[in-house]
Formats: sequence, C-alpha cells, structure tokens
Amino acid sequence: MARTKNVRDDKRKIELPLLEAFSISFEQIRKRFKRSIIVVGSIALGIALLTHLEMTNIVFAAYMSSAGVTIEAYQFWLVMVSLFVCGVGLINANLIATYERYREIGTMKCLGALDQHVMKIFLIEALIFGLVGGLIGFFVGTLTAVASSCFQLGIDALWKTPLATTLQNLGLTTSLSVGLSIVSTVYPALKAARLNPIEALRHDV
Amino acid sequence: MFDHIVETQNLSKHFELGGTTIKALDNVDIKIVRGEYNSLVGPSGSGKTTLFNMVGGLDRPTSGKVYIDEIDIAMLDAYELAWLRCHRVGYIFQTFNLIPVLTALENVSLPMIFAGVSRSERKKRAVELLNMVGLGERLHHRPMELSAGQQQRVAIARALANDPDIILADEPTGNLDLQTGLEIISILRKLNQEKGVTIIAATHDLKIIDVSDTVFWLRDGRIEKVERKNAD
Repeated sequence: MARTKNVRDDKRKIELPLLEAFSISFEQIRKRFKRSIIVVGSIALGIALLTHLEMTNIVFAAYMSSAGVTIEAYQFWLVMVSLFVCGVGLINANLIATYERYREIGTMKCLGALDQHVMKIFLIEALIFGLVGGLIGFFVGTLTAVASSCFQLGIDALWKTPLATTLQNLGLTTSLSVGLSIVSTVYPALKAARLNPIEALRHDV
Repeated sequence: MFDHIVETQNLSKHFELGGTTIKALDNVDIKIVRGEYNSLVGPSGSGKTTLFNMVGGLDRPTSGKVYIDEIDIAMLDAYELAWLRCHRVGYIFQTFNLIPVLTALENVSLPMIFAGVSRSERKKRAVELLNMVGLGERLHHRPMELSAGQQQRVAIARALANDPDIILADEPTGNLDLQTGLEIISILRKLNQEKGVTIIAATHDLKIIDVSDTVFWLRDGRIEKVERKNAD
C-alpha cells in the first residue's frame, strides 16, 4: 500500500466542535438523569436560600420605601456557609461522577480525544447544571420570599416589588451558580482528563 | 525487503512493585510487516498486554523505542499521539470498552466526531460498518442490550471507523464463547485480507494463532521465538 499517513505530513485534524461537545454532554445528562437531578437540586437549594434572603430584603425595602437594602451580617454568613457547603457537596458529587466515567474517558482517549476535549464535555455539563440549578433556585427563592413578605405585609408588597432589581438579582444569582458549578468541576475534570488512557481503562469502580 | 509498519527496538517496561522491579518487557525487538496478521502469544504475565499498550501508544516505555512508519512515537506530543490513535490505529479490547450510555450507532460514530467527519457522513459510515459486522438490525441498542459477541462486533466497527491501517486487539476473543470467538476471528481475517489492515492481536487463543501470518511468542517479557506461517 502506497499511502503514507504520517502525523507530520497529514493535514487531517482531531477536534471536538462545540456543538458536538454540547450534544455529548446533553446525552450524558439525559442518560444519568437521577444523578443530574441531585446535582441540580443541590445547586438550586443553595441559590434558593440566597435568593430568598435577598428578595425578602428587597421587597421589604421597597415596601418601606427606604433607600438602601441592607443584608444583616448573620444573613450574609448564613448564605456564605450554605454556598460553601453546596460547593463542597458539588465537588464530592463531581469526583464520584468522574470516577464512574474513568473507563469511558480512557476509551475516548483511545479513540483520539485530547485532554481538552474531555474537559470541554465536563465543563459544558457544569454550565448546564449551573444554569438550570440557578434558575430553579432563583424562582423558588423569589417565590417563597415574595409569598412570605406578602403574608407579613399584605398583598401590596407584591405590586411594590421592583422588577429591575429583581432581574438584576436574577443575573447575579445565575452567574454565581454557574460559577460555583464550574469551579467545583474543574478539579475533578482536570484529574480525569489528564489520566493516560491505560490508567483510565484499568480503573474499576 | 519487508515494509515494516511497526518496529520496536530494545523495548523495555519496568514496574516497581513493593520495592522490587518487575520487567514486564525486557529488550523486545519486533518487526511487524505491513498488511500481515500478527499474534502476540504467551502465558498471562508474559508481557503481551504491556507490549500491546506500548505499540498502541497508550503507555510510555521505560527504555527503548517504538516506531510506527519509522516515526519514533516517543517524539510525538500529546496532540500527535491522539492523532495517531484517532486516524491510524483501531483498538479492540477484551472487555469491549463500549460507552454504556451510547447506542451501537453512537459508539461507532464517536471516533469520527474527533476526526471531524460531518454528521450525515458519520451516520452513513457507521450504518455501513455495523451492517458489515452483521449488526444492521441492532443500530439503536445500547451495549447492555447486546450479547458479548455483538458488543465485540460493535467494537470492531468502531475500531474501523476512521479507516485505520493498524488494528490492535487485546484478547479479542477472551470473553467470548467458541463459536462467537470464531466469528470475530473471521471478521478480523476478512478485514486483513480485503482491506490490507495490519492486525496485531495479543492472545492465547489457538484459533487466532492458526490464521496468523506471524506469531510472536513471549515469555517473561522476552521474545522467545518468531514463527512465520507463510514464508514468502
């Protein structure tokens, strides 16, 4: 056979286009649905608590027509601790999730995947978890905050809730939850992506 | 003069195990002729799998060299090594190593994603390959829904996805019954004869040895003898 297919002089590439990475990540999430729900749920819970406290403050401030929104120190720490616990839980969940997929990662590397391809798949999953968890958390938090405020202040509080601030809050909490999800994925994903194929394939769960 | 697609020189791999050094491979020199059907044979622990891993660029040797088409694979960077695995080499494992969440069709398509093949072309080729290994009716089944022999045939189809010129098979019939094993062997033999794919199979299956052009006998990490079936 006359074809010489050498690395150095062959123009064919290896790649993982973003769209393909998205569809692999999406399949992974869909086919490991229970685990995905747990991850999304834990993000949503942390974000819901944060949103609840913030929105309660916003609604109260708007109702009282006071200028600034103050978050009490204990509330701040409560939220910080809950987000921290949420982050630790996520790292733990992600470590287990990547261990489960070591063989799969080894297989993908045998088929030509680069470290960055493996990272890409995990980070996209984290992005999706963060977005969905953040949105669910925000809506649950806002709903409970507004409901409990209305219960205390009367239905008027609902109309006085400032939409702009609420939307601003939505942006903030969603970025926070995406950030949290991605940060907690980086270490487990890097660990998995850097394995050489044989170590990964030898791995038994 | 033979055209050697794979060649090793003084290839050694040592493992540290509880303070003692185990020589899994000890100065192995093999030459694989392009287009031949080769077997690496030996008792378990003889270094078959280690040699398989080295030749496939899956693991780094302690010393010595592996050449694929006269290129020292130790000189390749991570990208080039991945490129080699993607385009030049197809792997078949004893444990199949299919991705459990993907269907047969998706498993066969996966290597083509990395090779940048378009979606429609991927599907077409994956269907062709699965038809070729006799699984045209099982395209959308996941590995768990397939028998061991069927899973191994999916793995063969996957190994062929990017039209490699080397197929590395580690105990391809090890987890299969006699009849299924024979089917797998004949698929591999057919590939070898019709497409000129070089096959390197680590095995202790006598049926594979029977169809091989060249058999490398390993013992304790060394080549004990090289047997050429068709002296041409």
